[in-house]
Amino acid sequence: MVNYIVRRLVQAIPQLLIISIILFALMQAFGDPVATLGARTPPKPADKERLRRMLGLDQPVPVQYLVWLAGNDWLKIDSDGDGVGDTPGTRRGVLRGDWGTSLVTRRPVTEVIADRLPNTLLLTGVAEIIIIVTSLLVGVYSAIRQYSLFDNLITTTSFVGYSMPVFWLALMLMYLFAVNFKRWGLPYLPTVGMFDPATGKTPAEVIKHMILPVATLAIISIAGYSRYVRSTMLEVLHQDYIRTARAKGLREWAVIMRHALKNASLPFVTLIGLDLPFLLAGAVVTERIFAWPGMGRLFIDHTQRSDFPVLMGILMLISAAVVIFQLITDVTYSFLDPRIRLE
Amino acid sequence: MKRSHQFMTLASLLVAASLVLAACQPATPPPPTFSGTATITFVQEPDNLNPLYTTMFFSGITRDFWLKALWSFDDNNQPIPEIAAEIPSAANGGLSADGKTLTVKLRDDVTWSDGQPLTADDFVFTYEMIVSDKNVVQTRYPYEDYVASVEAKDPHTLVVHFKEPFAAWLTNIFSGSPSAGQGVLPKHILQPVFEKEGTLDNAAWNRAPTVGLGPFVFTEWESGSHIIFTANPKWIRPPKLEQIFVRIVPDDAAQEAAILAGDTDIGVFLSSDQIEKLEAGGTVDVMAVSSGYDEGWFLNVNPETTHPAMLDVNVRKAIALATDRFTIVKDLLVEEVNPVNTTFWDGTAPYGDPSLKPYPYDPEQAKQLLDAAGWTDSDGDGVRDKMIDGQKVDLKLRYITNDRELRKNVQAVVQQQWALVGIGAELVNYSSDVYWNGYNDDGPQAQGLYEVAEYSSVGSFPDPEISSNWLCDQISSADNPDGANWQGYCNPQLDELLKKQATTLDRDVRIQLYYQIQKIMYDEVIYIGIWKDPDLWSVNKRLQGAKLSGATPFWNGHEWAVSP
Repeated sequence: MVNYIVRRLVQAIPQLLIISIILFALMQAFGDPVATLGARTPPKPADKERLRRMLGLDQPVPVQYLVWLAGNDWLKIDSDGDGVGDTPGTRRGVLRGDWGTSLVTRRPVTEVIADRLPNTLLLTGVAEIIIIVTSLLVGVYSAIRQYSLFDNLITTTSFVGYSMPVFWLALMLMYLFAVNFKRWGLPYLPTVGMFDPATGKTPAEVIKHMILPVATLAIISIAGYSRYVRSTMLEVLHQDYIRTARAKGLREWAVIMRHALKNASLPFVTLIGLDLPFLLAGAVVTERIFAWPGMGRLFIDHTQRSDFPVLMGILMLISAAVVIFQLITDVTYSFLDPRIRLE
Repeated sequence: MKRSHQFMTLASLLVAASLVLAACQPATPPPPTFSGTATITFVQEPDNLNPLYTTMFFSGITRDFWLKALWSFDDNNQPIPEIAAEIPSAANGGLSADGKTLTVKLRDDVTWSDGQPLTADDFVFTYEMIVSDKNVVQTRYPYEDYVASVEAKDPHTLVVHFKEPFAAWLTNIFSGSPSAGQGVLPKHILQPVFEKEGTLDNAAWNRAPTVGLGPFVFTEWESGSHIIFTANPKWIRPPKLEQIFVRIVPDDAAQEAAILAGDTDIGVFLSSDQIEKLEAGGTVDVMAVSSGYDEGWFLNVNPETTHPAMLDVNVRKAIALATDRFTIVKDLLVEEVNPVNTTFWDGTAPYGDPSLKPYPYDPEQAKQLLDAAGWTDSDGDGVRDKMIDGQKVDLKLRYITNDRELRKNVQAVVQQQWALVGIGAELVNYSSDVYWNGYNDDGPQAQGLYEVAEYSSVGSFPDPEISSNWLCDQISSADNPDGANWQGYCNPQLDELLKKQATTLDRDVRIQLYYQIQKIMYDEVIYIGIWKDPDLWSVNKRLQGAKLSGATPFWNGHEWAVSP
């Protein structure tokens, strides 16, 4: 098992290197980082040219990649524009743990990401737990009571939930529970942000502000996931070993939980394993609408300014997470299904 | 069915939330002299707070709270002294007779928020940092091209020497304007950083400027969430509010909800179609404040790149007459807020000439002008044409803009209007990061790949200066890729006026020069205004005293108060 994990991790290194080359090449299509500088009027051509030179954006793409990967302390930057390099670079490159500085905020990429990651994990993590627990409960229950009133009800509502666009649902919830409830004199929820400035950032405030975004994420996903659990459960419930288990006189609870659900959960674990790395990426639309300071918005904001050091940082983080969570998923398989052995 | 389930879940969450709420009322009483928080929503997050490292509007306008400069501009765009004891003029000796020396008397009672006195040395240091090769600043304008030196004659006398008289000094030299490079840096904080690190690029102050100059002082910036400024009791004009809370809300629809719910006191960058809805509740006022931006058409008259018809002033006039701008603003915008504008400087009072009126919608006259110019529909395909050097040329014009939805709609309407008089339109849209690119970066305007280009622009508001857009020696080409004159217009008379105004320090004389400039551009039909595009701000009625200005919106932040 340990050998297997080590081997997989070693394999991941060239994998991530190739991913980084592809991403860096694709990054060039994102546009010009000095095109607007976020201003209402475009920068003066002389400033653009100077910034490109000082930030190293005038270098060929392969050189820029090398600088990103290995740093530029072996290069001299032409800071005064006379065509001759004069100032030694200070970047050490990703290989030496330097992820560069954001072209937008001029802060280290690791800091920029570290600021947002906890917020995103709080939001998507809580939502994911609610999604998993609820869809398991709902899915298992409607599989056991197939074609019951509850099952039909869930079937109908999940199609409604599944087909709702996120932005629409988010805005509807916001208008109903924040704007209209307040207008009608009912207990209401806040519209945007993580807390109310008058109260400060207390846990209670943050929870209050999380309700609507978490509900948005949960409603959409529970719909799909519970259907998934239901169908795999149904398949397993008709297997011979379930009948055997029941024939041995096991309690229904034990049959469902230990025999049926454990076997039915394999495809569900795959699904969650694929999902988890993207919890780090955040929920772009939900974060934007509820002004939640997470990774999804970070990605969008920095995409608009073609801030490739930050974008590379986020994408490499997600790539690494995909590799790791796939490994975890595979290890979980062997626990859930003894027939699967990792060698 | 779904609703009831949803409702149950949310209702129980709500009950939990209200319990939490009840248990957790704000406990600490506000300090005696300052009270209340004003909440402002920004649709974009500032990138950096150091004025050298940002050109973002949303970063620049925060400086009204925490980094006052020599002067601000009030709601009539009149300069208001902040750190300067008075606005320099020829009369008070602030402007030398040759216009090349600006002397600013500083107030002697101003201290940084940490108690250190502010002196002229802080300004000298700021200038040195802007032009230093060690700092990757966003812009060096105007210090690199126009300023010869900056000196501290004594601790409270700042002297700026210009290479030539620089008319736009009021906006562009250490002013409160949100443009890049304005404001002043605390030398006592940043010089040690510069000496130690060799650059200011990574200074902690850039993101956490805990030492500032203003009625409020920076306290906290949480990435993606908010920025907090708290009352600065040491400031010469102490505030009434205890706190300014800037919340980043990127989504327009969510900002609207937050305004309606009263979760924000000030919102900005609203669109005209939101006004009615926002004001309907009776708790919010919408203010239209010009920051100089007006939507307009820039016509390409460069013989090298443009359609031959564009070189004829009567054809250009026909284009204006054939476009029903009055219906466009009525149908696509709010007429009262966005009337048709005439000149480039309509939004930059007092420089816009009010006597010039938009060309009327007169398709018949447009047809006559086109006929007279020799453009007739000889082949009956609906588009006029003309034989030029034995070649039949269609009167089909490239009408370009960026991919903003409103502009695309205008393009579509104009295409139909032009068709009525036989002008063909080829509509082209570029993404914003390409549209304004320079000549060497394949910018479509810089390379003259158009006949009509639509966008909104401004001079260095509230100063009207933007002459390089129309100077002969600024025409962009392969030989002059940095040229800012993308229209290829060259008129020696206009050239002379533009150059003269740039060095004319007397405001009244300069206004007259601008009137002459606009008359030429109007008669020559170089610029066609489409609509006035003021910034729309929402202000909740609980916030009192906010007089928003186009240049320095929060200039009177110290007078704001909130009713509980």
